[in-house]
Amino acid sequence: MAYHSPYKAPPHINAPPDQGFLWNIFQRVDKDRSGVISDSELQQALSNGTWTPFNPVTVRSIISMFDRENKGGVNFNEFAGVWKYITDWQNIFRTYDRDNSGFIDKNELRQALTGFGYRLSDQFYGTLIEKFDRQRKGQVAFDDFIQCCIVLQRLTDVFRRYDTDQDGWIQVSYEQYLSMVFNIV
Amino acid sequence: MSFHYGQGYPGRGNPPPGAQYGGGHAPYGHQPSAPYGGAPGAYGAPAYGGQYGHGPGSAPGGPYGGYGAQLHGGHYGHHAPAGNVPPGVNPEAYQWFHTVDTDRSGFINPKELKQALVNSNWSAFNDETCLMMINMFDKTRSGRIDMFGFSALWDFMQRWKALFQQYDRDRSGCISSTELHQALAQMGYNLSPQFSETVVQRFTLRGGRPGIQLDRFIQVCTQLQTMTQVFRERDTNMTGNVRMSYEDFLSGTISRLM
Repeated sequence: MAYHSPYKAPPHINAPPDQGFLWNIFQRVDKDRSGVISDSELQQALSNGTWTPFNPVTVRSIISMFDRENKGGVNFNEFAGVWKYITDWQNIFRTYDRDNSGFIDKNELRQALTGFGYRLSDQFYGTLIEKFDRQRKGQVAFDDFIQCCIVLQRLTDVFRRYDTDQDGWIQVSYEQYLSMVFNIV
Repeated sequence: MSFHYGQGYPGRGNPPPGAQYGGGHAPYGHQPSAPYGGAPGAYGAPAYGGQYGHGPGSAPGGPYGGYGAQLHGGHYGHHAPAGNVPPGVNPEAYQWFHTVDTDRSGFINPKELKQALVNSNWSAFNDETCLMMINMFDKTRSGRIDMFGFSALWDFMQRWKALFQQYDRDRSGCISSTELHQALAQMGYNLSPQFSETVVQRFTLRGGRPGIQLDRFIQVCTQLQTMTQVFRERDTNMTGNVRMSYEDFLSGTISRLM
């Protein structure tokens, strides 16, 4: 298997994992026993399947999504959300990474994002690959794929807020544009 | 009447901010003799010299200097003799390169850079800024920088550090939203105080006083330059307003996101 999570996947991946199972994992990842999993603890526990360190920016994005009190990490309750989020992405990624290489190419990325409902030009997929291909292979690895999808989703959300008549066009001032973009910086 | 965005280049003419990045194509000059050196402001940072008074190579305070970014963990004993400094490389950066390159690979990766850089409150530089700077000076798109790239990064950091100190008027070690607004206004940006407030709120560290450290200051100002350029390219009539399609918005933003 070309990429894998650090822990054995539960037998029925779509069924919610039981609390004992998650608690076990949580304790192993929470190396300093602080009760909160930090960025670096999560990063060390995750594998992108290519023997390179998991993208720290992706880790930060994921933690900040579930860290409700802005404490710089996730507690056990929040970790359940993180776990589900990552395994969901993993299942999606596996569907499109047909040769199990740990990477998806431009075509596979297009199929994945089209499956999510995005309608984007061929040229745009080239831009995405260029941007998120951290390993410079002309393809994107699992961690970079997640980051790509997060950025796309955030930009789409903020665009929608401004596109009040939903025609796919917005009219924005300079400061409005910067405020939109700084949402994701 | 034409809309004034601001240049982001205090003390110089008005080269468009971020133009040197050119959308990811050939961001560096091609002069073989000086692959990184030379062109003031070539990386979107404020110009050398000028009103800031720090020429290249005369880093204020040096590596151990007071506040702002400082490299830690250095030993003078590791410093190579200055006689071997390759042409175009800042001698101080040359000396530090060997200390920062902990795995002795001849290259600095984002992790090594992060370990070497600290803010004035001793917090580590954030990953986004380290990655951003590596990408800016990584000529070969290999995800790491060589001696020449490190030297350019060094100069870039020293210039931002000098600006940071200049705009930290109350010497608190961080830039408040008022100070950021003043800084952006002086750089020529025409933005409301609310904009700076939002940015500072977003990047204030947990439990700390409201303000941004040097790493975020560099990230915010650099990103502001490139995103201003994205907007400016679309605002051909200089009205300060643009109409953008969904895909144009996505691709313009994503391709310049650093």
